[in-house]
Amino acid sequence: MSELERSLLRRLRDRDERAFRELLELHRDRVYNITFRMLGNRAEAEDVAQEVFISVFKTIDQFREESKFSTWLYRVAVNHCKNRIKYRARRYDRAHEELDEMSHQANGAVVGAPARAAQPDRALEGAQLERLLQEAISNLDDDHRIVVVLRDVEDLSIEEICDITGLPDGTVKSRLHRARLALRKKLQRHV
Amino acid sequence: MTEEPGQEAEPIADEILAAVSDYLDGALPADRRAEVAGKIAHEPAWKRAHDELASTRDALSGLQKARAPESFDKEVTGTIHRRSAGRFFGRRTFGDRVPFGVLLAIAIVILLPIAYVMWTSMTGSLKREPEREPPGELRGSQSLVPKPP
Repeated sequence: MSELERSLLRRLRDRDERAFRELLELHRDRVYNITFRMLGNRAEAEDVAQEVFISVFKTIDQFREESKFSTWLYRVAVNHCKNRIKYRARRYDRAHEELDEMSHQANGAVVGAPARAAQPDRALEGAQLERLLQEAISNLDDDHRIVVVLRDVEDLSIEEICDITGLPDGTVKSRLHRARLALRKKLQRHV
Repeated sequence: MTEEPGQEAEPIADEILAAVSDYLDGALPADRRAEVAGKIAHEPAWKRAHDELASTRDALSGLQKARAPESFDKEVTGTIHRRSAGRFFGRRTFGDRVPFGVLLAIAIVILLPIAYVMWTSMTGSLKREPEREPPGELRGSQSLVPKPP
């Protein structure tokens, strides 16, 4: 850990607002990108990213400096995303049950259901490809999504992903293989 | 990677995909890496696995980096201020930074001499009341009063 980072942490522990603003400046875009890629929704990503920084600020005394600060920060971000995904799933289940009870109508448009992937006839570019990729990521299992976002989108090392997720090397690699396989299948016609 | 319509590509074995995935991650030891590189160069299934995984990975790493909105910092600090009623930020008080035990020891060291001074002082409020003799006849007072004839 650099002296600059150590000094920033010291000031954060002293609840220095300027230090907190520096922390935001350094990490907000990356944290936001992780939450956005994990959740696939800008408003939710912003909400969760805010909670990440508030948690970090509240629990900064618990950071033991055994890992890089960014590793700890991303761990907090990943945990918040996992919690949000679980919360969303519960809410979706409840909404789904309510719908079933109310009408038994199979109209196809279910509250909270992931958007169906577009199936264009030709390869998409720009914004469309971006949307397609995001949908493919969003349709992965949570465990697979985490590793693929951290490795292939954020370009973190396998070692760092192990530190963030608390998973052994072999598990991270196998999840990464499976995630890439699933993505490859979904994107085969477009990428 | 685009296939001709109606033409199904042969599925690639999982072991090949796993090895190529590790190869792309640079996670293979030197000898194994050379072996995989050789297979990618010469065997069509390996080459296809490599091309497909590489293009998928490139597409993912090429995703636009989402940037936090302009108002992000303001909203986060605003939320912290609101939730803590303005007490969250600001340097910690002296009591937060110095352990309670140290503060207690310092207080004892300062208060003991003060208490001692007050104890020994004639005017100090902590001075104990001296023991009083029980009220009675004053010694020698009898000699001052003339005896009746």
